[in-house]
Amino acid sequence: MWLPLLGLLFGAIIGSAISFQIPIIFAKYMSVAVLASLDSVFGGIKGVLEETFDGTVLLTGFFTNALLAALLAYLGDRLGVDLYLAAVFAFGVRLFQNLATIRHYLLCRSLKSYKGCPRK
Amino acid sequence: MRKWVLPITIVCIISGLLLSLQFKAQASLTSNPIGQRNEALVGLINNSEEEIVKYQEAINVLREELDKIENSSPTGQVDIKQLQQKVQKAKLQAGLLPVKGRGIKVIVDDNNAGLNAAPNDDPNRYIIHYENILNIITELKLGRAEAISINGQRIVTPTEIRCVGNVILVNITRLAPPFEISAIGNPDILEEMLLSGEYDLLKGTGFPVSYTKYNSENPIEIPAYTGTYQFNYTKINE
Repeated sequence: MWLPLLGLLFGAIIGSAISFQIPIIFAKYMSVAVLASLDSVFGGIKGVLEETFDGTVLLTGFFTNALLAALLAYLGDRLGVDLYLAAVFAFGVRLFQNLATIRHYLLCRSLKSYKGCPRK
Repeated sequence: MRKWVLPITIVCIISGLLLSLQFKAQASLTSNPIGQRNEALVGLINNSEEEIVKYQEAINVLREELDKIENSSPTGQVDIKQLQQKVQKAKLQAGLLPVKGRGIKVIVDDNNAGLNAAPNDDPNRYIIHYENILNIITELKLGRAEAISINGQRIVTPTEIRCVGNVILVNITRLAPPFEISAIGNPDILEEMLLSGEYDLLKGTGFPVSYTKYNSENPIEIPAYTGTYQFNYTKINE
């Protein structure tokens, strides 16, 4: 249960401990990749709660989403279109939706009187 | 372990890594590039200063050894004693020995109160510049000071007093205010020199300056010069 949280902390510590720093020109693309990865985390948790979780789907989705988002942002920069905004928007919306679903499930579990349980 | 734990943990680790990396990149993005460059330079200076301290320690160790050799008295040689005295005197003149005696200690500091009272004024008018220090030192020398130090840095022949940004360079060491200038000499003459020169000007313009006289019961202590005397180009003209 706590392993994912520990993993998050572990990753953060490694990231701050290593001296490697992302070049500033890539920071924008990285931001989209970060959003994509966060989206994957919450999507995964939602999947667990919905009992539709599939590890392969999660991992492949994680990498393709992050890479594609960064690539799209880069392409947008070359074309002069702020495509990364589209990625930010898409992932942002999904992030909030996932969070809302997770909240519903948790409420459903902890409160017997809660009526708005999501249908499975 | 349930089957979902491992994939989510992997994703979480990578997310955490990406998050902290992005956080670092963003933090350096918001600080301006000039600041970054300055930070790098400050790091460079600090490293060099650490090295200087290390070498100075090495110099001190070697000097102590040399002192021991100089002061060891081989039997049967009368001349050695005289030579040792000569060496000791030469070292005293070169400022290579820590000394103490009657004197005066001057403390000058930036006029922070004045700057706070007039924040729109030119801040240069409220800080101690190297010229102020240089003038005070010169006046103390005129007052026949026999040994002078600023913040523990002995003033000797090769000593520079130079402005480097917001600090002052003395003996290749950066000194920050408040500046504590110690001088050994006749306290009354030194006091008179002070009160008729730069010190008085600084006091008149509102700088927080003060001085204390030291008598022989309560002598002022001045450390030795820790740098080197280099004579690469100078030859004795015989």
